Amino acid sequence: MKRIGLALVVLMLALSACVPAATPTPERIVETRVVERTVEKTVEVTKVIPTLTVIGPWAGAEMDQFLPVLKAAEEKLGVKIQYRIYRAEDLSQVLPPQFEAKQAPGDVIFMWEWWVRENKDHAVDLTDLWQKEANQFVLQPTTVDGRVYAVPYVLWVKPGFWYKKSFFQKHNLQPPTTWEEFLALLDKISAIPGIKKAIITGDGVGWPVGDIVEHFLITFGGPELQQNLIAGKVRFTDPQVRSIFAERLVPLLGKYFSDPVEWTQAIDLWWNEEYGLFFMGNWLTGMVKDPNDLGVFTLPGARGVVGGTDWAFIPKYSENVEAAKQLIAFMISKEGMEVRAKQGGKLASRKDISPDVYPPADRALAEALAKVEQPTVPDLDDAVGGDWQRLFWDQMKLLWVRPQALDSVLRQLDAKFPTK
Amino acid sequence: MRLHRVRWERIRRWGAFLAFTAPALALISLLIVLPAMQTVALSFTDKRGAFVGLRNFIEVLSDSDTLNLTGFPPGPPPWGSLVHNAVWILLHLPLTVGLGLILAVLLERARGATFLKSVIFLGMVTPMIVGGVIIRFLFDENAGVVTAIMRAVGLTALGRSWTAYPETALPALILGSVWLWAGFSMILYSAGLATIPRDYYEAAAVDGAGPLQQFWYITVPSLRPVTMVIVAMTILWELKIFDIVYTATLGGPGGATMVLALQMYFYAFRALEFPRAAAVATMLSLFTLIVGLWFVRTLRSSE
Repeated sequence: MKRIGLALVVLMLALSACVPAATPTPERIVETRVVERTVEKTVEVTKVIPTLTVIGPWAGAEMDQFLPVLKAAEEKLGVKIQYRIYRAEDLSQVLPPQFEAKQAPGDVIFMWEWWVRENKDHAVDLTDLWQKEANQFVLQPTTVDGRVYAVPYVLWVKPGFWYKKSFFQKHNLQPPTTWEEFLALLDKISAIPGIKKAIITGDGVGWPVGDIVEHFLITFGGPELQQNLIAGKVRFTDPQVRSIFAERLVPLLGKYFSDPVEWTQAIDLWWNEEYGLFFMGNWLTGMVKDPNDLGVFTLPGARGVVGGTDWAFIPKYSENVEAAKQLIAFMISKEGMEVRAKQGGKLASRKDISPDVYPPADRALAEALAKVEQPTVPDLDDAVGGDWQRLFWDQMKLLWVRPQALDSVLRQLDAKFPTK
Repeated sequence: MRLHRVRWERIRRWGAFLAFTAPALALISLLIVLPAMQTVALSFTDKRGAFVGLRNFIEVLSDSDTLNLTGFPPGPPPWGSLVHNAVWILLHLPLTVGLGLILAVLLERARGATFLKSVIFLGMVTPMIVGGVIIRFLFDENAGVVTAIMRAVGLTALGRSWTAYPETALPALILGSVWLWAGFSMILYSAGLATIPRDYYEAAAVDGAGPLQQFWYITVPSLRPVTMVIVAMTILWELKIFDIVYTATLGGPGGATMVLALQMYFYAFRALEFPRAAAVATMLSLFTLIVGLWFVRTLRSSE
């Protein structure tokens, strides 16, 4: 008898765990409506406040910069918003089976542009939403057959090599204006006592290493070379591409670049002046103790820098499509964009945002980028996408520690490049 | 009448057996057997579902990510996921079995054995995803304990990040996984040691056998069934190793730590090549089936 009772309790517990999560508790609101001129009636109305889930790649300091936007949206739109962190490379595996099951883990999701394009059948059409703001943006939305499926949010750029102004002042260093000055700077930094290597190489899954490579390709081959590589019109074994690797990048690898180190760890090591330079995106301004001490320079002669955005889309299977549309509309509005710009770490993708809105470090970056011919060259691996992106990152990590493998690395990149 | 009763008894027994096992069998069929059969079927088709025979298997085996024997040996990885899994088994298995046995013997009657065994067993209860991150930092140039020890003893070549170099990335993962898995073999051997009658050791001592002889001629043969279980379970675990590699190196650098399960994952969810992923899954299942059959056969013959 005891055993039967125990079994029943266990069964009930197990069944209770299968019960779906509670839906948002309706909030009872009392409204007074004038039904007739002389009669007022008090009516109780049940209003459900939707809870939206926003999924983005930002964690730590970057997340802290994004949350004020969601808070402002909650106040403006009268919704509740919860934020979840998911890297795009993980979402690219999680989303397909969920979409097949007509489910979505979030209402607004930030993903790669190429991925949204390939999965447009699962995305809500945002053409009407975009058309109201189209003229204000420096970037184009994700469109397929003239319909918009994802909109650009704030801009990130990978402007070049960051340094601490105080470190440069202490050691009487200057940002370089020519390639020879760049090499001389690396030598000077390497000779400073306590410095392990002139440049610390951030790593993770491999994208920071890929970013450095792309900066070299754009500087010495121009933005058009990057575009041609993305389109598959130029191969990696092309003599021009190979010479950029062989003559500009590879000779620096063992001598001036550190081994790949987890990039968040690299920030600390570089800030502690164990290394002199650090190549990273502009979100770095929100991740250091004193952003006003930051300086950045592109490789001399660079006519463009990689810049892009995170693309926001709404899955068709969201239970709050209309509320999600309102949220996106707010985020890309002037008001919403200003809230984000004030936090630093990203630049507005709208043209009508005044530089005065930014914190000082980001303002200086925005002004410097105004002088660059093309501040939004597409990111190579993000644009090509698929499994080739992972391969590119992996091969660049290999090249960093085994520069003599250059030719086999370039052949691998060509061999696995997706055929269109 | 008697025959009728016997038949009815047999039906009643089978009926009871089926009644109790049917739900579990139904779930297993639905959730394991059917998807497995579908996967095998998928491995013989192309993306549109047309039958292509062994083409997917040939393409997978021809891929340098699976088999890359240029320079093997003595050249460093990448050698391909098939070889990496084989190397993993060749290195990890004897280390884990041997270390587990030695720890079990040493801690059999040691003071604080329970506490020490619990500490060693922590590796088993640590999620492998976490284990992979730990391994990455254990062998990190700046933060790693292992690299710090290497520099302290003068081995500066091994004082750099192991997971950044193709020569040392795979050994780093294998050594880290020995740490994670040794607790399993230690606990099983500890249980096995407790079943060996003390009389054997006393009789051997009377006959003049020393500790090493007792270990070799009594302990090791007596633990044979336990060893078989540990070997089988460890090989199966090594064949499907995924989470440690995913978090520690993502199969790199340059594919130097690619393993079959991770390769299957990339085929399916990065390249969206589901038939090829199914081919890898089928090959993996075949290898695990071979190990399982060997285990059952050896168990039966020892009985």
